Amino acid sequence: MANETIRLTQTVKGAGCAAKLAPGVLDKALCGLDLPVDPNLLVGLERADDAGVYRVSDDLALVQTLDFFPPMVDDPYSFGQIAAANALSDIYAMGGVPKTAMNIVAFPAKTMDISILRTIIEGGLDKIREAGVVLVGGHTVEDSELKYGLSVTGYIHPDRILTKKNLQSGDILILTKPVGTGVIATAIKAGLADQVVTDKVTLAMTTLNRDAALVMENFPVHACTDITGFGFLGHLAEMVVGSGQGVRISAADVPLYPEALEWAAMGLIPAGAYNNRNFRGALVDFGANVSQRVQDLLFDPQTSGGLLIAVAAAEAERLVIALKAKGIDAAAIVGEVISEPFERIIVE
Amino acid sequence: MIDELDCRGLGCPAPVLQVRNILIKEAPDSITVLVDNEAAVQNVSRFLEHQNFQVTTEIEGTAFRVIGRREDGVGTSGSISSAPVVKESRGVKKIMVLITSIHMGHGDDGLGDMLMFNFIKTLKEMGPDLWRVAFVNSGVSFTVEGSEAVPILKELAGEGVQILACGACLVYLHLMDKLQVGEVSNMLDIVTSMQLADTVVTI
Repeated sequence: MANETIRLTQTVKGAGCAAKLAPGVLDKALCGLDLPVDPNLLVGLERADDAGVYRVSDDLALVQTLDFFPPMVDDPYSFGQIAAANALSDIYAMGGVPKTAMNIVAFPAKTMDISILRTIIEGGLDKIREAGVVLVGGHTVEDSELKYGLSVTGYIHPDRILTKKNLQSGDILILTKPVGTGVIATAIKAGLADQVVTDKVTLAMTTLNRDAALVMENFPVHACTDITGFGFLGHLAEMVVGSGQGVRISAADVPLYPEALEWAAMGLIPAGAYNNRNFRGALVDFGANVSQRVQDLLFDPQTSGGLLIAVAAAEAERLVIALKAKGIDAAAIVGEVISEPFERIIVE
Repeated sequence: MIDELDCRGLGCPAPVLQVRNILIKEAPDSITVLVDNEAAVQNVSRFLEHQNFQVTTEIEGTAFRVIGRREDGVGTSGSISSAPVVKESRGVKKIMVLITSIHMGHGDDGLGDMLMFNFIKTLKEMGPDLWRVAFVNSGVSFTVEGSEAVPILKELAGEGVQILACGACLVYLHLMDKLQVGEVSNMLDIVTSMQLADTVVTI
């Protein structure tokens, strides 16, 4: 009998497709809830930032996050690596240092061999180790569909928290990874992506944002977030809303996977991209020269995407050079913060 | 006649794949697809437009009917709604370049090599009209480790040009693990590309 390998993406409904609850829907569930109040909660739910921050003392705060999802690639080890890198990323985006992690697992034990779970967790451990983090435990439930991720806790100095909400007029925006993983995951699920593309995008998704975070520590960074399920423009919108600033994005400068451009034109676009557009599209003005497929990619939900960094203009070029010197080849200036128009995103 | 395809209840990317299969197998002049969610409407519309169909959408209860007709095909009956026609205007031609050898033309191979390299280097002058570059037979060697053409092709790929390398050729020449740029392709992709391109240039 042929040695059959399970294609993980075929076992789940939404991979890149529909994994994240639509942003507008989530807002409905959360708005108006009576949340406990504590002066030491420096960044909480109402701020909707990458991770929560709780002050322990004047020079120490805990930064906490949690992320898990169904597989977006077929290889279990890679899936483990990607899910872990994605979960750790929120800590880096806040300027924190991850310290401990716990596994979150939903596993279809009736239909899937348990060795697959072992391989996924090994992949996750690989990234946890690389990040200098210890695994302290976890929780596994039986479910009809496979899901894996981490809850991560880190340290951060209470005065050096990098939130999304501090854009300043004139800041330059820098993105550290190419965009298009959601479309490529859809092509993988469709069986249209070859090994070369799969390997390329897997490498990017398994790459920790740690090096980018270490580099930006030495620069006058005003705000930062990581690009994940809401897509480039969805996460940018979170930075813009409430900031009092607008942004101008140069679409041609946003690093994109060329394969994703072709597949986007073919309609291999995850439902999440349309959700993101429906939720945030009203904030965005696209220039006439920005093609439909580029617009779609800018809303494409990303897995373990790059950091989007707002830095003082005078240091922007130097930051890009420093990122590239660290091997972050895709790092590019993608736009600027402008005071007018108020809290809108212009894409040209 | 309109082929009607029921894709209700299917998550992405299944509707697009089903439509694609029908286009490959039957090459119809028109197709009607029933779907039940907005993302599928958009994806099927984008796919059909990409394949040079004119697309209209009708709402039917909780379902959507996406109707595509070949732009160069003969129109069908008058039952199509007056919903707005969505069309992405590229404003550019789609030129496909098929490179079948490491030499350009017949004669001295040294000269042929030089000409071909120069040709690849100059391709970017086609600007946005350049759509796909496909490499077959010994031509695939331009896409693999050690070729001076690799950085040039990567630059083209970065501009959105699709680079296709014939998979059978890479296997035959034992170059598969050395591929540096472009995607591994097959004869169906290449034939479909020729059909979709406005101009095919074979060297």
